[in-house]
Amino acid sequence: MSTIFIAINLAFALLIAPVIDSFERKIRARLQNRQGPSILQTWWDLIKLFKRPTVEPQDSVKSLYKLAPYVTFTAVLTAYLIVPTLLPSSINFIGDFIVVVYLLGLATLSFVIGAFSSGNSYAQIGSNREVSLFMSEELLLAFIVGTIAVIGKSLSFDQLFPLPLRVSSALALILLFLVIYVASARLPFDIAEAEPEIIEGPLIEYSGKHLGLLEYSIFLKRLLLYSLLLNFIIPVQNPTRLIGYLIGIVVLSVIYSTFEAYYGRFRIDQAVKLMKKLSAVALVVWIIAVVGW
Amino acid sequence: MTVILEILKGNDAKILRHDEKVILALVPNDKLRTTAELLFKAGCYYATGVGVDERLLGVGFSMYHIFNCESEKRYVILKAVANNSKIPSITPIISGANWAEREAMDMVGIFFDEHPEPLRLILPDDWPEGVHPLRKEFHYNERPPRIEFKPPKKEKKPGVMEVPVGPYHPTLHEPEVFELHVKGEEIVGAVYRGFHVHRGLEKLAEERMTINQIPFLAERICGICGYTHNCAYAQAVEDAAKIEVPERALYIRTILLELERLHSHLLWFGVAFHLLGFDSGFMHTWRIREAFMDLAELLTGNRKTYGMNLIGGVRRDIDEEKKKKVLEIFEKTKKETKEVLDNAAGMKELTSRMEGVGVLPKKEGREIGVVGPVARASGIDTDVRRDHPYAAYGDLEFKVPVYKEGDVLARFLVRYEETFESFWIIEQALDQLPPGDILNEDYELPEYAVGIGATEAPRGEDVHFVITEGGNKVYRWRPRAPTYNNLPAVPIMLMGEKLADAPIIIASIDPCFSCTDHMVIVDGEKVCRCSLDDYLRRL
Repeated sequence: MSTIFIAINLAFALLIAPVIDSFERKIRARLQNRQGPSILQTWWDLIKLFKRPTVEPQDSVKSLYKLAPYVTFTAVLTAYLIVPTLLPSSINFIGDFIVVVYLLGLATLSFVIGAFSSGNSYAQIGSNREVSLFMSEELLLAFIVGTIAVIGKSLSFDQLFPLPLRVSSALALILLFLVIYVASARLPFDIAEAEPEIIEGPLIEYSGKHLGLLEYSIFLKRLLLYSLLLNFIIPVQNPTRLIGYLIGIVVLSVIYSTFEAYYGRFRIDQAVKLMKKLSAVALVVWIIAVVGW
Repeated sequence: MTVILEILKGNDAKILRHDEKVILALVPNDKLRTTAELLFKAGCYYATGVGVDERLLGVGFSMYHIFNCESEKRYVILKAVANNSKIPSITPIISGANWAEREAMDMVGIFFDEHPEPLRLILPDDWPEGVHPLRKEFHYNERPPRIEFKPPKKEKKPGVMEVPVGPYHPTLHEPEVFELHVKGEEIVGAVYRGFHVHRGLEKLAEERMTINQIPFLAERICGICGYTHNCAYAQAVEDAAKIEVPERALYIRTILLELERLHSHLLWFGVAFHLLGFDSGFMHTWRIREAFMDLAELLTGNRKTYGMNLIGGVRRDIDEEKKKKVLEIFEKTKKETKEVLDNAAGMKELTSRMEGVGVLPKKEGREIGVVGPVARASGIDTDVRRDHPYAAYGDLEFKVPVYKEGDVLARFLVRYEETFESFWIIEQALDQLPPGDILNEDYELPEYAVGIGATEAPRGEDVHFVITEGGNKVYRWRPRAPTYNNLPAVPIMLMGEKLADAPIIIASIDPCFSCTDHMVIVDGEKVCRCSLDDYLRRL
């Protein structure tokens, strides 16, 4: 039974992640006085990319360059086996929280390695930025994981979903809310891609299905992070979980995309500075959790 | 006044023309450099230089160096005649003359002694030596054979990465190249390579067009600030032929010039927001800008490329009904503009990306001769509208904003204040619009008279230089767009900055490349199949 449920979860993620992206594009467009694309536009874009031939740049390390999109995609997809989405079923074991964090790290890392191996100078600058942003957000994430583990006294999701209502858990979830925003490469944190500066940075040389896979993984990663946050909030055994989850996704998309429409882009040093400040806050929250509030 | 005359007289200059607008003096070659230096020290900055093939006049090749003397409210033109195709270079003294001299070298074939960087500026690398397109024996439809060209090998410095911004880059909407040398995120060197879209307008105008057709060609120099070129050309001819323009026409020109500034500045704000990642601001400023495009359509019949000027006046009148409509739309758009721009100026993420970035010190700015908002943001108080009143600006009241910081934020603020000054100028001009004719067609074109027309384009001083030929032709026409003077300042602004800031720094001068570039298209299919020697013999 559980296997079927997990399969349903996976299918849901694969189908819905691009729709959420076009939904957010629509919201941003409305805020910017535009009509906006159709709700299926991201799907059409992806289908088009998968139909196109791929081109490998001359200077690239071809094996790495071609492997990277698959590793990124698989890493994100594997995380869906552990984090439940639509239905509350998943593979759980001790330390699965850490595994999810590692899988997300692996996705970013292979993304960056693929970009580096393309040999393009824009891609290298973009990957540089991606790595520095990732490092600074990783520190913050480590503190949040620590806090949540202390609150739930466990590192396994089946003990952690949902978190008990406490001051420290509320604060930790607010921080997680911010990290998710940063990790999903939205303005003002889309520094690694920065279209007018370095022309989509790491993605610049990718084309066809490789580009499609990388973009698909970005959408999947966003939905995964949304689900992670929502799981900490919504009670598991309740029959209304499904409705709560769907409403939660829509609410998060609306909030995030509205934020995005009203920001300019940070420079990498500004972003890293902000992340350091947030990490200090996270340390305080961790202490609060240890004290037992 | 006396200072300049003394300088000229002290250097054995022969004064050819002296009136309330222009002083034109023929300076002997050995005194050229000292004269230029003294003028520069007297507060005149280098506006531009024009090489002219005057062999048909029995003179030979000559070079006109044009100085803008704001304090004297005059343009001072130094004319030097080439001796054996050679003229001493003034670039070692005034770095702003670099491009103008190289352009004259490429296009007319004048050689400048002791020029520090005698390389090609405009002609492509596969263009044959010894063929100069603006010489009179070269015709506009010539296709000289190409020569073999091997690009020089570049040395690689360890740790320095070369990042090309252009010729195709989302930041630039036109084909130009900035080669940025980057260490980590810091820019340690910047080289500009431009003039990819030279359209041979000057040659076309000289050879094929009549004086009243050129305004329409001039307007097509730029897709944003075309009308200001159109006006500057008309003014240059009117200055050369001493044509009296009806007052009502001058007011109508003023209104349209300011309308163009409004739409151009709003366009810039949008682009700047987009480069800083603030797309909502971009969309909303362009939404407001639409109202000004509609206004232009109402007044001229065209959203852009108004086609309003002829020599001696304008082609369409503004009646009472249109006047009322303009003021009506203004009331609404002024409020909206203020709202959007104030919101953006209040956003800390935006201002912190602009503050202290891309600084141009006043001294360097003056040497290069930067103009317009770039100059005014670096503490240089210059504005053609006030210093050399043209159209109706002499009768109208307006402020010229000046900031001393010299960074991108200062340029933003200069344009911000100018936007609201433009509203005010248009309101005044509509209110005071005098009755009368709009076109004076009763004039005759003198032979070989020199005229100069300058306007304050949205991007800065726009200078057009004309030598008439009599009948209905011009002998030489040279437009100099503001970006021509502002671009050499960009590498200075870029040094030591972060790569992430490069787009906004380049955009902060509001570059208009197609204005700056004017090359003869080399089409592989149509080039002359003869050998180079045969070709040169035939010329």
